[in-house]
Amino acid sequence: MWESKGETAIVVGGGHAGIEAALALARTGFEALLITQNLETIGRLSCNPSIGGLAKGNMVREIDALGGEMGKLIDRTMIQFRILNRRRGPAVQAPRAQADKFLYSRTARQVLENEKNLRLFQDTVVDIITGPEGRLEGVLTGRGLRIKARTVVITTGTFMEGRVFIGGYDCSSGRLGEPAALGLGPALQKRGFVLGRLKTGTPARVHAGSLDYGGMERQDGDKERLPFSFSHDRIDRPDLPCYITYTNPETHRIIRENIHRSPLYSGRIVGVGPRYCPSIEDKVVRFPQRDRHQIFVEPEGEDSREMYLNGLSSSLPEEVQQAFIQTLPGLRRAWITRPGYAVEYDYLDPTQLSPALMAKALPGLFFAGQTNGTSGYEEAAAQGLMAGLNASLFLRGMPPLVLSRAEAYIGVLIDDLVTRGTREPYRMFTSRAEYRLSLRHETADRRLTEKGFHGGLQTREALDRLEAKRQKIEEIRGKLKTARFVLSALPLPPAAPSSPEVSTPGDTAPENAETSAPTVDWPALAGRPLEQALKVPGVGIRDLLPCLPGGEAYTGPGDLEALAQVELDVKYGGYIARQEIQIKRFEKMETSRIPPDLDYGAVEGLSSESREKLKKFRPLSLGQAGRISGIRSSDLALLMVHLRRRRRTGEEPSPPGDPPGDSQGSA
Amino acid sequence: MNEPAYEQDDLIFALATGWDVSALALIRCSGPGCLEAAGRIFFPPERLAAAAGQTLIHGFIRDPRTGDTLDEVTAAVYRGRRSYTGEESLEIMAHGGLPGLLAIEDCLRRAGFRDAGPGEFTLRAFLNGKMDLTRAEAVQEIVSARTLGAHKDALRRLSGSVEAEVSRIRETLLNLAAGVELQLDYPEDEIDSGDLPRPGDLRGDLRTLGESLARLKRTFEEGRLYREGVRIALAGAVNAGKSSLFNRLLVQNRALTSQEPGTTRDYLEAEISLEGIPLLLYDTAGLRETESPVEREGIERSREITAGADFVLYLIDASGTGPAGEAALLENRENRLILWNKMDSPQAQPPPSGEVFPLSALTGAGVEEVKGELLRRIRGRVCPADRGEAVIASARQRDLLERAGEALAAAEEDLAGGIPYDLLAVRLREALDALGEITGETAGEEILQRMFSHFCVGK
Repeated sequence: MWESKGETAIVVGGGHAGIEAALALARTGFEALLITQNLETIGRLSCNPSIGGLAKGNMVREIDALGGEMGKLIDRTMIQFRILNRRRGPAVQAPRAQADKFLYSRTARQVLENEKNLRLFQDTVVDIITGPEGRLEGVLTGRGLRIKARTVVITTGTFMEGRVFIGGYDCSSGRLGEPAALGLGPALQKRGFVLGRLKTGTPARVHAGSLDYGGMERQDGDKERLPFSFSHDRIDRPDLPCYITYTNPETHRIIRENIHRSPLYSGRIVGVGPRYCPSIEDKVVRFPQRDRHQIFVEPEGEDSREMYLNGLSSSLPEEVQQAFIQTLPGLRRAWITRPGYAVEYDYLDPTQLSPALMAKALPGLFFAGQTNGTSGYEEAAAQGLMAGLNASLFLRGMPPLVLSRAEAYIGVLIDDLVTRGTREPYRMFTSRAEYRLSLRHETADRRLTEKGFHGGLQTREALDRLEAKRQKIEEIRGKLKTARFVLSALPLPPAAPSSPEVSTPGDTAPENAETSAPTVDWPALAGRPLEQALKVPGVGIRDLLPCLPGGEAYTGPGDLEALAQVELDVKYGGYIARQEIQIKRFEKMETSRIPPDLDYGAVEGLSSESREKLKKFRPLSLGQAGRISGIRSSDLALLMVHLRRRRRTGEEPSPPGDPPGDSQGSA
Repeated sequence: MNEPAYEQDDLIFALATGWDVSALALIRCSGPGCLEAAGRIFFPPERLAAAAGQTLIHGFIRDPRTGDTLDEVTAAVYRGRRSYTGEESLEIMAHGGLPGLLAIEDCLRRAGFRDAGPGEFTLRAFLNGKMDLTRAEAVQEIVSARTLGAHKDALRRLSGSVEAEVSRIRETLLNLAAGVELQLDYPEDEIDSGDLPRPGDLRGDLRTLGESLARLKRTFEEGRLYREGVRIALAGAVNAGKSSLFNRLLVQNRALTSQEPGTTRDYLEAEISLEGIPLLLYDTAGLRETESPVEREGIERSREITAGADFVLYLIDASGTGPAGEAALLENRENRLILWNKMDSPQAQPPPSGEVFPLSALTGAGVEEVKGELLRRIRGRVCPADRGEAVIASARQRDLLERAGEALAAAEEDLAGGIPYDLLAVRLREALDALGEITGETAGEEILQRMFSHFCVGK
């Protein structure tokens, strides 16, 4: 029997969700125990060797702003960095880095091992333990240990009843070569939790020495690197290239002729796969008119000779994979080190969770990560952080920290999961966010750092840094208002002005020429206040630095971020202001609270379907209720009338002031 | 969201038919306990109490104080949720005399009912999940529809033709937005640029969509003519026979006519119906120089009426001095008919060639032709329902369409100015949200759906 002095919090799983959850618990003062099947595989990047990307990069920075670890880990282990979508506007630019997989995993484990309140333990959790009154008491392991805890965070990823498929081969595994976690899924089901099956896949890895690089396009990273973490000033890491190649009609012919041998098409896989990240056989079948698909060949690490074939995810038999891979330029003699495969696993229907990611049916039990039906390291880490922090707040007897859809992608992610559920692996997209202009990656700190601090996770230094940045922004904005544009201050006739975004030398050529920046009539700007000049399309803040008093001193990494933020705030101020009006309207519905124990039977006029849905979901606000699929505006009107009458008749003595969508951890 | 202002658990009643002399009148009562309360005035009460839901019963309305029988009625009994409002209801069919109706209403108030506010039955129906918002709005229109044509218009909307048209527009916009969002959700190097809509095409598409919205929005104006009636002014010189035509059209001799010029010193108004289209007919004072201040005032008001009318019937006295000269001064206009009146007079000159309608308001000769032409022109302009098009009728829908249209126009303009796509997407979302408010749909998941089904994306 495990002996514990204080109150133990258990985290099941050592993936990206487990790492953040365990650290959040330990760093807020609880004795945390992370149980994983294999200590060697903590923080593995099971699929693509990169972190970040559109919307995902924003989440990594949000995690960092709240006091999580992922941003720091990727900063320390990246082998290439790029800002994506420079040409398409400020709200959808995002950082992405190629990671050294092995270094990432090793660094993650070191961080966990060096955290003072955190202990790692190798075993398999097969069930949770509940007491006589149904209260959560701990977990039961494969080796028969009963470990007590008041709170448990489950982050099993693809391992719960995982099954790997390659052509006709299949085997109980969570990752190729690693045993699945058996027992926990059925045990949870027996306890009344609703579980489903999802599927995801990964492509083959090939040996770097077997490739012909002359047959592929080389893709380098940006020269200027922006750290993911707000606490880092610079990145000092190597820069390795990726390569681009294409499939061709021969590739597609081989795939089509063997399609019946795919476990997806033969019906052996029942789990639903992601539409947005289809296997190559899916792409060939669904888009027959396409005669080529783009494939990225990416290094797995600085010291590794394995390369990842991004875009070729497949579960066809190995000899078929070998045959079609070798039809691609650059890969004619590719040596497969590991085949691509599909993995099918149990996931929890996340609508059984509260917005704090706690099981509605069992207080103290939290779920996070791929277990909740998501896909992606960043989505997993974001949930892990929120589940860990909320488990900690639960132990402290404090209200949960729930981020709203208007303040973070993490808020959108969790609200979507617990309100709408998901039927395919859920990935974050910028278009899932209603207010993405406000969710830009470089504003993550001003949106979330204070919340992280009040939750006990973020440091005083982070808060001070944010304050310094705020002051810097104020200072620049002030100068922009007073200083005027002087043509002669420009170093050279600005024949080629920079793009409206803060651009960098590593920027790629515009491919969408019609939407790229228009040419600027510089002389016409002479004498105008800088703020006005900045609003002109094509004018960047860096163009104006020579006119800004003391502008030449803004060269530090923090300065660049501040400049970028000021530029976007000024340039898109009109849009942002409009969005803020929408957000106010949105928040009104979000703060119309519905008691979690509301008797829906007493709400007159609800259709029986709506009544059942509301009973099942128990939304915490009218806003959340409105997002449940199938709930109509007339249902909301009825609920509103009912709540009003209920308040009037005094059933609800004091309407709580704390809105559910707001930070409640700040108490 | 607007919060409903009415109470919802008390008893209400209202006269469902018009407040007018008619053969039958329908009084609708609704609310929990409605049948029990009605038992105080219905005789025999046990018949009402025993009646099953969805049945008709026969009986009498009795004044509970005096015991006098006020009317012999049939009543439709609704139990459970199957009535119009979704509540227990009673519909009393009484005789249409106004004094009798007043007495019945008085009894209902004594029995514990209160007068329903405007639209309150429909509100309850909506709140009880019996109809959605578009339908609720359409019902309001039926209730206040003036004639058959407007009624048909409202009915068409009930069957969802506005929704269908808005959905069609929204569908196109969704596909467009998906193309834009795709470029925001996947990095440049991960999508085949051949798949993408070109900004030039995008502008064209936005313009086309804007035009569709504008067309639908215009139908509100046209729907207004249907609901409120087409305003038709009879104009022309003094003694051109405007009042005679007015009377001819009214059949009953409501306006005074005489040979004395200037008899109509102000204007007269009457409502007639032409094949289901309500027409508001204005007989204006003749236009001439006058010393009489009263008449001058009348002429001034007539000018205003004529200027604000949807159609003008301009009469020329064919027997007067120089009618041809007068006709020559008038240009042809789509909303004006020139009538060559007094063809019955021996002094009548023959009508000039061109768009002039010979007429004798006195004998009625030519009146049918004028009516036919008027109808043709009105139909061409104001009867989209007859053309089988959707007609929007509520101001809410019009405002939402306007919001969507403004967002699209702004998007088109921004696109010309080289705006980045993430800001363009804000405009498209605004337009989609506004249209979604009409149809009750939200866009987020649908955009993704289209992205994945129309484009090959993902590494």
